[in-house]
Amino acid sequence: MLAYITRRLLILPILIIGVTILVFGLLSLLTPYERVALYVQDTPKRQGAIDELIVKYGLDDPIPVQYWRWMVGQRDPDTGEVKGGILRGDLGFSQVGRSAVAEVVARRLPATAELALWSAVPMIGIGIWLGVLSAIHHNKLLDQVLRVFSITGWSIPVFVFGLLMLMIFYARLGWFAPDRLSDWASRIVQSDAFRRYTQINTLDALLNLRLDIFWDAVKHLIMPVVTLSYLNWAFMLRVTRSSMLDTLRQDYLTTARAKGLAESAVIRRHALPNGLIPVVTVGGLTLIGLLNGVVITETVFNYPGMGSFMAQAASSLDVVSVLGVTLLSSVILVFGNLIVDVLYGFIDPRIRLQ
Amino acid sequence: MKILKKLLRNPTSMAGLVLLLAFTFIAVFAPQIAPPPERSRDPYMIPRDGFSTTPAAPDDEHPFGTTEGQYDIYYGVVWGTRTAFRVGVVVTIFTTIIGLAVGSVAAFYGGWLDEVLMRITEIFQAFPFLLAAITMTSVLHTIYGRGEAGPLTFMAKMLALVTFGHNPAKPVDPMQMQILTGILAIIVFGWMTYARVIRGNILAVRELEYAMAARAIGAGNMRILLRHLLPNAIFPVLVIASMNIGSYVLNFAALSFLGLGAQRGYADWGQMINFARNWIPSLADHWYIVVYPGMAIVLFVLAWNLVGDVLRDVLDPRMRGRGNGF
Repeated sequence: MLAYITRRLLILPILIIGVTILVFGLLSLLTPYERVALYVQDTPKRQGAIDELIVKYGLDDPIPVQYWRWMVGQRDPDTGEVKGGILRGDLGFSQVGRSAVAEVVARRLPATAELALWSAVPMIGIGIWLGVLSAIHHNKLLDQVLRVFSITGWSIPVFVFGLLMLMIFYARLGWFAPDRLSDWASRIVQSDAFRRYTQINTLDALLNLRLDIFWDAVKHLIMPVVTLSYLNWAFMLRVTRSSMLDTLRQDYLTTARAKGLAESAVIRRHALPNGLIPVVTVGGLTLIGLLNGVVITETVFNYPGMGSFMAQAASSLDVVSVLGVTLLSSVILVFGNLIVDVLYGFIDPRIRLQ
Repeated sequence: MKILKKLLRNPTSMAGLVLLLAFTFIAVFAPQIAPPPERSRDPYMIPRDGFSTTPAAPDDEHPFGTTEGQYDIYYGVVWGTRTAFRVGVVVTIFTTIIGLAVGSVAAFYGGWLDEVLMRITEIFQAFPFLLAAITMTSVLHTIYGRGEAGPLTFMAKMLALVTFGHNPAKPVDPMQMQILTGILAIIVFGWMTYARVIRGNILAVRELEYAMAARAIGAGNMRILLRHLLPNAIFPVLVIASMNIGSYVLNFAALSFLGLGAQRGYADWGQMINFARNWIPSLADHWYIVVYPGMAIVLFVLAWNLVGDVLRDVLDPRMRGRGNGF
């Protein structure tokens, strides 16, 4: 167990460094002129100013030197303050966001976190529940229906699904709306009377005891949450089903039945704990699904989070912002995978007892 | 052959195969099904009927209606089939080649080379795929936008040759360049699964008798790898790869939807749906700008998934002889 976790922890820095090298590699495909944007916040008025900046920040130095500087930052020769350095949280300047990439991300992250948290619950809960149902009713009608559902769900692009939801529930029925809050609600949320504890609307509304705002936030969340989750329901369903099917065939379940346990107890107490172990391993894939999904989902629903920022930045070729968000997402993913692996080690007795 | 028989007997995969045949038919006979207007420079550019911004509902002249800017949806859906096949097939070919090369070299030579190659593979996998592809596309757009790009231009020309049969001596059409950028981005972050699968398979066959025998009679490394090991380890990779065509098309469509894939007006499903983003409040009236191209993508991807689903059972030895589970 200890060796297993140690090995995972040893690979972690290699992965993180590799990710930064790859991101910097992409960045260094650009010419120094295109990269000045990392340091410049306004368009210089003077001719030749850009060339001076290139020399000043050493943008034509050898790549390894630049990589090191990009990682740890650089002391400004004039003012003496250290600038840049992704290790210091400086991801460069975003042309689209008109401020530092890290600032824009920090501002938009709560919205994305809210969306992701609300999606994770139905994703995992409903997906597993459907998968277990499907396995118990193996090859019966319910199983076939769910099978069709999951293959079809797997084939619908997120943006088509999202647009169809908008078409039906917003344009036709007017039940839900895009964006994050209605105008009246966002006015209240931005006023002084409303305290922002977490920047997560639904939570803040509850903490401020404003049920009307909570309800408004939920109404804006339903469509993007469903859109973000349906694909993962389909995926979770398949994984749970096949793992449960494997478990249901084990001899110890026959033993459990033979000693007279009710079928529900057999499944709940004996099949589920083992059948759900592999489901934990796909946690990493679920995280990938979320990180990928928010880009499209937030764009479709005009939801002001990290994903829609990424999409805006990409379509106006703001490479610095795009690389910043990607770098951050990869680091989240690497740590997420580590947590999943360690968790797996704890849950699976075959690894735990090694 | 046995596999094909199984695919034909299963209703699920049968439905998938029928759909795929239909799409192939549409792609092959696109010029007959939706004839390009006379004097059109490039049949992949959707013909326009005026310049009005408001989409027009289906009528006799435009059976699926027109999008914003009066691009004919029916024409786009039909010719988009060709784009979808192109994207899917080209991405599959290149990702498989890269994956096979990396994976087989890692497995065959082992040692530190294996270690290094596998760590690199893991690093590429540490990126969420779509985000990585978006990043790659925006970087490539910037580079290709400025004209001179050194070795990257060579890569683009190679891709253009394979994708469009483009003459490498001539510069690449900017319209096609946009598509190639998206394809290239998906390729760069799409080969890792194949590398891992082929590595595992070669490790399994490397120690078998016939590999030893080949070595004993003095065959060189390359010969053993290419003539003896790869042919015995490649099959599952090819199957996985061909089944991924659907998901490649889906990802390319997502890029196009974000405005990073095909150019405005190009016969590409994702690009056509991109228009819908401006009409969200009135989508109930302009349903056809989402439904028709959307249906095309869904059915195309569904077809590959239906076949792939059954194929996975057929190839999974644990499932042999059991009912049709997935």
